[in-house]
Amino acid sequence: MHHALAVDRWSRGASPLHARDARAKLAAALVLLVAVSTTRPGAHIAFGLYAALIVTAAALARLPIAALARRAALVLPFSATFAAITWWSGDPARALALAEKSLLCGFAALLLIATTPVNDLLRALEWLAVPRPLILVTQFLYRYLFVISEQAQHMYLAAQCRRGNSAQRSRFSARFSAAGGALGVLFARSWERADGIYRAMLARGFNGHFSRLAPLRFSAADAAFVFLAASVSIGIRFAV
Amino acid sequence: MHIPDGFLSPPVWVTFDALAVPAIGVMARRAHRDVEDRQIPLLGVMGAFVFAAQMINFPVGAGTSGHLVGGALLAIVLGPWAAALVMTAILAMQAFLFQDGGILALGTNICNMAIVGVFAGYLPYFLWGRGSSRAGRSASIFAGGALSVLVSAALALSQLLISGVPMPRRLLLISMAVFLASALIEGAITLAAIRAIERLNPLWVRPPAERSSPAVAWGVAAAMILGAALAVAGVLLASTSPDGIEHILATHGVIEPSWVRRALASLAGISGAFAVCVMVGKMLARRQRAVIPTAKQMRAGSA
Repeated sequence: MHHALAVDRWSRGASPLHARDARAKLAAALVLLVAVSTTRPGAHIAFGLYAALIVTAAALARLPIAALARRAALVLPFSATFAAITWWSGDPARALALAEKSLLCGFAALLLIATTPVNDLLRALEWLAVPRPLILVTQFLYRYLFVISEQAQHMYLAAQCRRGNSAQRSRFSARFSAAGGALGVLFARSWERADGIYRAMLARGFNGHFSRLAPLRFSAADAAFVFLAASVSIGIRFAV
Repeated sequence: MHIPDGFLSPPVWVTFDALAVPAIGVMARRAHRDVEDRQIPLLGVMGAFVFAAQMINFPVGAGTSGHLVGGALLAIVLGPWAAALVMTAILAMQAFLFQDGGILALGTNICNMAIVGVFAGYLPYFLWGRGSSRAGRSASIFAGGALSVLVSAALALSQLLISGVPMPRRLLLISMAVFLASALIEGAITLAAIRAIERLNPLWVRPPAERSSPAVAWGVAAAMILGAALAVAGVLLASTSPDGIEHILATHGVIEPSWVRRALASLAGISGAFAVCVMVGKMLARRQRAVIPTAKQMRAGSA
């Protein structure tokens, strides 16, 4: 959850990259992702150039690059495992490519979300004809993610206080069903909260979609940004 | 198992993204038919609940702990279509916000976990959940949780194998054993959670859909066939050709060996697939634009 909070804070920054339209950033990120994931294994120079491109963009967006890199490295345990297996079965080039590609793609995705507030990104996706029920559900999910997680943390803390040190001694099945009970209570609280939310929203005139403070606007600068980002990505993809 | 970007070969992720787009359209329509208007916030909150529920640790022995994955639980509580929609929202959130699963691989992860996983999790409950015997019903819930994890994991594994990620036989067996263990854990957690929820309010758990309901039957059948076909294809490909689909395409001369031509072809294919996705999506979106009634429509309806 701390991760989501940090990203949320970053995404509200002010920089030339933050100011770009969400659709432009989504398009640029997709082109970069496709370019990275179709680059042939062993093209280390290309991967280095992609990394330079991403880091330059992060610097332009005035984001803390070290913190960003640490977050992006969260994908490494998974990909490093597979990379190790691949190396072991005699394909070092592919093994390195697995690690490089997954790291770069994770970094690119992180850069997208660290410069675009989630709601703007969802509006861009809605413009791309993602069905509205899915957009609505995702918006509610993001809005209540922090609330319900906080509730789960409170419940966890309360259980620790009540249980003290006895958790280690109590029977396995008792501990298991206690966890099941906690899940049930969290579920009940979420359900009741959802009922309350809907009533409150109706009272405030909710009519099936969230209204926007500012319309999406695709300016010439956005077009130039997409063109630049796409041509650099594609250039690296084919030139190296 | 969330597949990150960079693992799947382009033919694989393009195929699954293209499959996921119309599937999401269908699931949004069906979900909206199944749940009432007031439940749209509920679906979002349930997604947040599944996220938060991962903080509750279940002891699974040997000092380790497991947590809920949630596909089967959501299917039993919300019905399979709405559950698939919520899982899709969860996966999108995980991919964009937490870099848990790739963005290009999102369609693949949605097919594995939100579509096939949810419907596989619903299948036992759909078949045997309506019986009066408590043990039989419990068994069906347990089997649902286990099956959803097992099928999603097997699908992900076969997609990796098709993409040419090498997997020695011994390791394959080990990962199968790990999947089986996590499937049993998910079954036990799903059962414990459903029991606790029913104790609090029995109305929160939906009875299984009517067996005559063609939509659910079709969804289950389609998911099962897709899953079985993929698993078989993955195993066959893995056993015949260690380099996966690209190797087969290259040896049969489908793709020119020159890498520039190959890259051009794949880029053209990707943009073509994307254009098709957008067109299909736009069409579906137009057909369902009136799914959520606006205030004006609601007033007109009540007048």
